[in-house]
Amino acid sequence: MATLNEKKTCSERMENFRRFVWNPETKLFMGRTLINWVWISLYYLAFYVVMSGLFALSIYCLMRTVNPYEPDYQDQLKSPGVTLRPDVYGDRGLQIYYNVSDNKTWEGLVTTLQTFLTAYTPAAQHLNINCTSDTYFFQDAFDGPNKTKLSCKFTSDMLQNCSGITDPTFGFPEGNPCFIIKMNRVSTSSREACSLLYKQGDEPRLLEVDYYPVNGTFNLHYFPYYGKKSQPSYSNPLVAVKFLNITRNVEHRIVCKVIGAGITFDNVHDPYEGKVEFKFKIED
Amino acid sequence: SQGLSSAKAAEILVRDGPNLLTPPKATPEIVKFLKQMIGGFSILLWIGVVFSWISFGIQLAQGAESPFDNLYLGVVLALVVILTGIFAYYQEAKSTNIMASFSKMIPQQALVIRDGEKKELPADQLVVGDVVEIKGGDKIPADIRLIFAQGCKVDNSSLTGESEPQSRSCDFTHENPLETRNIAFYSTTCVEGTATGIVINTGDRTIIGRIASLTSGVGNEKTPIAIEIEHFVYLVAGVAVSIGVLFFIISVSMRYKILDSIIFLIGIIVANVPEGLLATVTVSLSLTAKRMAKKNCLVKNLEAVETLGSTSIICSDKTGTLTQNRMTVAHLWFDNQIYSADTSEDQTTQPFDQSSPSWTALSKIVTLCNRAEFRPGQENLPIMKRVVVGDASETALLKFAEVILGDVMNIRAQKKKVAEIPFNSTNKFQLSIHETDDPNDKRFLLVMKGAPERILERCSTIMINGKEEPLDSEKAEAFQTAYMELGGMGERVLGFCHLYLPENEFPDTYLFDTDSMNFPTSNLCFVGLLSMIDPPRSTVPDAVSKCRSAGIKVIMVTGDHPITAKAIAKSVGIISATSETVEDIAKRLNIPVEQVNREATAAVVNGMELKDMSSQQLDEILCNHSEIVFARTSPQQKLIIVEGCQRQGAVVAVTGDGVNDSPALKKADIGIAMGIAGSDAAKNAADMVLLDDNFASIVTGVEEGRLIFDNLKKTIAYTLTKNIAELCPFLIYIITSIPLPIGTITILFIDLGTDIIPSVALAYEKAESDIMNRRPRNKRKDRLVNEQLAVYSYLQIGALALGAFVTYFTVYAEQGFLPSTLLGVRVNWENNAINDFEDSYGQEWTKYQRTYLQWTGYTAFFVSITIQQVADLIIRKTRRNSIFQQGLFRNKVVWVGIFSQIGIALILTYGLGHVTALNFTPLRFQYWFVAVPFAILIWVYDEVRKLFIRRYPGSK
Repeated sequence: MATLNEKKTCSERMENFRRFVWNPETKLFMGRTLINWVWISLYYLAFYVVMSGLFALSIYCLMRTVNPYEPDYQDQLKSPGVTLRPDVYGDRGLQIYYNVSDNKTWEGLVTTLQTFLTAYTPAAQHLNINCTSDTYFFQDAFDGPNKTKLSCKFTSDMLQNCSGITDPTFGFPEGNPCFIIKMNRVSTSSREACSLLYKQGDEPRLLEVDYYPVNGTFNLHYFPYYGKKSQPSYSNPLVAVKFLNITRNVEHRIVCKVIGAGITFDNVHDPYEGKVEFKFKIED
Repeated sequence: SQGLSSAKAAEILVRDGPNLLTPPKATPEIVKFLKQMIGGFSILLWIGVVFSWISFGIQLAQGAESPFDNLYLGVVLALVVILTGIFAYYQEAKSTNIMASFSKMIPQQALVIRDGEKKELPADQLVVGDVVEIKGGDKIPADIRLIFAQGCKVDNSSLTGESEPQSRSCDFTHENPLETRNIAFYSTTCVEGTATGIVINTGDRTIIGRIASLTSGVGNEKTPIAIEIEHFVYLVAGVAVSIGVLFFIISVSMRYKILDSIIFLIGIIVANVPEGLLATVTVSLSLTAKRMAKKNCLVKNLEAVETLGSTSIICSDKTGTLTQNRMTVAHLWFDNQIYSADTSEDQTTQPFDQSSPSWTALSKIVTLCNRAEFRPGQENLPIMKRVVVGDASETALLKFAEVILGDVMNIRAQKKKVAEIPFNSTNKFQLSIHETDDPNDKRFLLVMKGAPERILERCSTIMINGKEEPLDSEKAEAFQTAYMELGGMGERVLGFCHLYLPENEFPDTYLFDTDSMNFPTSNLCFVGLLSMIDPPRSTVPDAVSKCRSAGIKVIMVTGDHPITAKAIAKSVGIISATSETVEDIAKRLNIPVEQVNREATAAVVNGMELKDMSSQQLDEILCNHSEIVFARTSPQQKLIIVEGCQRQGAVVAVTGDGVNDSPALKKADIGIAMGIAGSDAAKNAADMVLLDDNFASIVTGVEEGRLIFDNLKKTIAYTLTKNIAELCPFLIYIITSIPLPIGTITILFIDLGTDIIPSVALAYEKAESDIMNRRPRNKRKDRLVNEQLAVYSYLQIGALALGAFVTYFTVYAEQGFLPSTLLGVRVNWENNAINDFEDSYGQEWTKYQRTYLQWTGYTAFFVSITIQQVADLIIRKTRRNSIFQQGLFRNKVVWVGIFSQIGIALILTYGLGHVTALNFTPLRFQYWFVAVPFAILIWVYDEVRKLFIRRYPGSK
């Protein structure tokens, strides 16, 4: 083995390496002739071009087979998620803390709501139609413009006291703030009725709140959602909640569940599936 | 004498310890264990562990939401290192244990006088002062001083290298204990005679114990496979570190957070390191070791399995390894003609012409003039296997006679022996006088055997075709020619003569007196010659020719006489029939040796010449001659020869049995000790033990060693291939910010889960072509992992990442995220504060729903890699041949591998798919098939490549 472990000096190693990079006697560059390198490079170039082509072809075939209107599967979207506005996240999920007497603590929250509701102005909703029926709005044909389906109008004024129109500060300075509950869009042919229920703390109990629209329900005519391509102007229906008589300087843990057929909220891993949990505290 | 009392002996035993050689100091177990923990890739993985924990610490300090992921990752990585370390350690310990159990299998017994009684005791119970009895065939159980000896001869070859047995007596003849005649040494053998002696040294204090402890001074060299694996580890680690660092820099300059970049780095390292590979290599080697053990090659050091395969020179002992280690009658001369006898291991008949009355006379002498006897109770054993009491030549004659005549003991009993003069070195003959079994013939028969020239001197007639004819000069000439011819074949020649004593002079009441020799010992009738040799094992010539075609040079190193050595070398093919030594050429051309100017291919080098040679001269001999025999060499010279061979850059295998061989065994790249004849010291120093002492077993070992090297290449190629498929996801994730296609934990499940059994299965692959027709690999050029293998695995077959990516995109697209939406989403995708993330269809996803989808992506990616690894496994079965030439179903274990791979994947996906921590999800069934076309493509591509390789061999 002795022969293999011969110690080489550093300069010898460098010399060997130089010789490997360019050997003037055999005209080898890194162990191959230049022309050989060219062929090899061309081969790899061709190889990767073909591979990329194959990949492109596969993706093309994939795009041809997927349904352009609705996803083929909704394995992960068995039940829609629920979100809250304003959405301020702390270490462990939503945390909405503010001080009534300190403008700065709630102005940001109010701006979030105002920005959020700009999508619900009559101007933003002008493509959508007024719906009055209280049942599902099934559409088999593409009745809308450019081969789309129609969507029902949801404007911020439907949120009445929480619309930001009558009260631009959404009740924050008074200590009776508005929160807006939004259910995630999930493309499904039929979605059952939905309503809201509030609970708090370890012993669940209903809180004293006002719902807008009244009863805190999402009207059925906003469902089903046919997907972005069918309903490009669709906007999620909202429910606003105005808290009344909130004990101040106490952290409230609040869970807002969406009750409805096909909606589950017992997934231990997902705090936002079928429900939204948040902490809420108003200070003086 | 009464010997020691048991109580006293027990007392001394406690004081001195058992009569054993302390095995060479083993590396402490904990050091071995720690070596496994930090060897190979473990260092890289430990770096990964440290990084994981550092980032855990930072995240914890920053109060991030899920810092424990990194803690767990670190723990898992640490577990991986520790478990693979424990596994490798266990494997190594297991193979060492085989050895330990082996040396305990044959406990040596000694006949001791204690409390005035003879007792059989295990030799390790002997203590200083014990009185032991020794007889021919025994191993001397300790260093003893003889107090009684009768015809005692010992074979000191294992100690001093002298091959001739040396006589021992009670006389103190020399100051030097090694020279004096009244001391017999531990582990040498008593060849003949009996003796009684007092134990003077036991265990490590014996002469041999002192030599054995010197042996541990010769350092252990790294085995070729260890060098290869190190080379491979450096290569992969180099790739891992450079890609890791490169992408660390890229990700930092792409404004990723340092913490994220570190996590990427961990992923890249984990993806690049084939965690399971070293364990796989160990398993493959131990499987081969097991297979070799079945073929009588017991491997002590797992890595030696491969060393044997790369062997380019075998320095072999003659006695016992190439030969049967027993004298056998090879030729006969009577009626002016030489007859050959059968010398194979299991002769049952002798085919030469036995019709001549001369043979009848000769056979009588052979039978009667012989003191050797079979030990009783062996009637059912084959003749060649029976144990005989007597010296080597007499044993040979006894067995020879038994084969031809049957029941020699009975024949002797019928022809009663009336007088006998045993062989001694002054008269160099043995004589006995017998009655005949013919009741009408009252004559006595005098039979004599001995050194041919001495016997001839005592003869006046010679028997030709049963008739006594006068011994004239012409007949004496014929005798000389035959004697020279037989002697020239390296055989030990004995002459035989007889005389029927005249009845009138020697009536049946005649009293023979061997001291006054009152009977004629001259003017006898010469009957014939018998020559004996320790014949080559019948499997050896074939094995030697196999070595030749395998490009392995076989060098014979023996303590025997050059003529004998050369004769055996010729008969087994170490010196081929056509080649000549310088001396042969000189003799043929009738010129002095110095004038021979042609190079001879063969050389017989005498130990005396070797002594005066410089290392350059030795190198010249080793270089210029392809067929070399070293005769009359001492075990020390063996070491010089081994070093000479190693200077030629050869991987040298050395066989040896004696204690003095141990330095050479240690020095050799692979030391092979003899399992039967070998001393414990030799076995300790060796890397391998030949259980049957047969040279042919070495050749099967070489074959296995070469096969495992080929198969390890396949295993490594198989394992390396998926590295790219594991690495690409990270690189593409960093560059294009798509959701992470495969997680670190998932990668570990591939490396240590689905891929393990298939890669071991490749070790069962049969050889593609006759590996014994190849030259041994050049250890500087034929690397285990060379540029071609790495480049082909990484850059070409590594394209199987493609299939996995297609599956990944398919899963995401069919669940709502079309490929175009995925690019650049990483930051929002991973943001915990976004729970209404919009997909291509306008649907909104919570963080957990996205994460779950990401895990589904991991699972899909994992499944695709598994499916494509099936194709990879099939293509790796061969390196040149088409799969169809090799046979798709010949290696059943590969199919076990394939089924296990898919089975494990199914269990992980559907069985453990609900365990969140493992990041697997139950996958829709159709996603298993997305990668199938790519798997088929890999197979087809590789078949085409192999076709080109076969069509245009040798091109780069």
